Amino acid sequence: MKSGLGINLASILSLALIWEVAGRLLDTILIPPLSKIGGAWLRLLVSGKLLANLAMSLGTLAVGFFLAVIFGVLVGLLMGRFRAVEHFLDLYINALMSAPMTAFIPVLIMWFGLGVESRIAVVFLFSFFVIVINTLTGVKQVDRVLLEMARSFGAGERENFFKIILPAALPAIMAGVRLGMGRAVKGMVTAEMLLTLTGIGAMIMQYGSAFATDSLFAVILTILVVAMLTMKLVQIIDRRLTGWKVEIAIE
Amino acid sequence: MVEIHGVAKSFQKTVKQSTSEVRALADVNFSVRENEFLSIIGPSGCGKTTLLKMIDGLIPCDSGEIVINGKKVSAPGPDRAVVFQTFALLPWRTVLANVEFSLELRQIPKAERTQTARNYLKRFGLEEFENHYPHELSGGMQQRAGLARALAVNPMILLMDEPFGSVDAQTRQLLQEELLELWQRERKTVIFITHSMDEAVYLSDRVVVMTPRPGRVAEILDVPLARPRSADEVRRDPKFVELTNYIWNTLKKAMENHA
Repeated sequence: MKSGLGINLASILSLALIWEVAGRLLDTILIPPLSKIGGAWLRLLVSGKLLANLAMSLGTLAVGFFLAVIFGVLVGLLMGRFRAVEHFLDLYINALMSAPMTAFIPVLIMWFGLGVESRIAVVFLFSFFVIVINTLTGVKQVDRVLLEMARSFGAGERENFFKIILPAALPAIMAGVRLGMGRAVKGMVTAEMLLTLTGIGAMIMQYGSAFATDSLFAVILTILVVAMLTMKLVQIIDRRLTGWKVEIAIE
Repeated sequence: MVEIHGVAKSFQKTVKQSTSEVRALADVNFSVRENEFLSIIGPSGCGKTTLLKMIDGLIPCDSGEIVINGKKVSAPGPDRAVVFQTFALLPWRTVLANVEFSLELRQIPKAERTQTARNYLKRFGLEEFENHYPHELSGGMQQRAGLARALAVNPMILLMDEPFGSVDAQTRQLLQEELLELWQRERKTVIFITHSMDEAVYLSDRVVVMTPRPGRVAEILDVPLARPRSADEVRRDPKFVELTNYIWNTLKKAMENHA
């Protein structure tokens, strides 16, 4: 764990160094040196522009992702529990799981207009299906011996669900939530670039078309950091909920 | 008293879309006395585990019936508890919480079930491991926890499905001794599934030998060894050797007739 962190740091520092040197040597607008990007980032930060846009983007992300988790887990549990529901929805969920969600953006504009609702819908659609599928898999993979054991000691349907199925499926559910988080960030930026120019996506489009590469890279790097932090957040929650599983991985 | 009257069971088996019926058990008859230690031995696939699940009430009989103290079995009940071959401990619960699980399902209040669970953990020498997770324990310790969980609800009948089948030989012997000692003290009815002849004879009052699929009772044997039995002495007793040989021959005959 510790040595991994050291290598991480070394990796970041060496990449930064190569970038800086390359940027200075090439002296082209296409690859600005890292120090210039840092300067642009500071300017965007001080002006308040970055934070305002970021807040807007994260608001969309939070609402869309929250809805995706709630409904994704719910639908996944229902599919895992009831054969009929699974067979009924199976086809669509699998088809939509790998479908390019950007194709639905024109439809969403027609349904929800150009407001925040559409962007929330994009975030939702990006992350919903992977959460459903992982939850479903988790429920279906529950060790049948454990269910038998519980029934033998007198558990009813309700107890079987809450005391066996749900905790047993939790690691898979959390894996789905983690994957969904990554997809949700993609959905957020995509919606802001293709649907209505807002938030952090709008900044990318603006600086891109103006060839303001230093600011452009500053925004892109910010998105990377945001993506990493949100993943980390999910990871921390995951570890709290399924600590027993993590311990297995460490040993 | 457990009575098994003409019990039969078949399963639908589907291989590549063609469904066929597999007869697991056919017309099984025997009864188990109160406080008796009875083993059921037979080749794999003879339906021993199926029979045990039917006694527990987890699966219904196709025909015939199982009667416990005058009452027909239709579902799991508080008079029975199962010890599973693969331990069936919940990996997300600590050892203590695993033992509490059976008490929790019987609606025992929290304070009382913690105390009861601790008592049983202590009896199996697990008190220092109550906050460990199952995967941190050896197979033998996991099965001790499984035993503690079953005994914690104080069942009249202990149903054991090859409980020592997945631990190493030395641990197996220790567990056998612990089980006998416990049974001597608590006097419960034990129905014990095994495919080890040695284990069946060492532990039991009687041994039911079963035929290959569809399982029937080939023979019921008394074990004429005095109790308490010491593991080392019993195995040198000529009666022990004679009986295990006899069971082996019975099993062999049953399997030859079948083939």
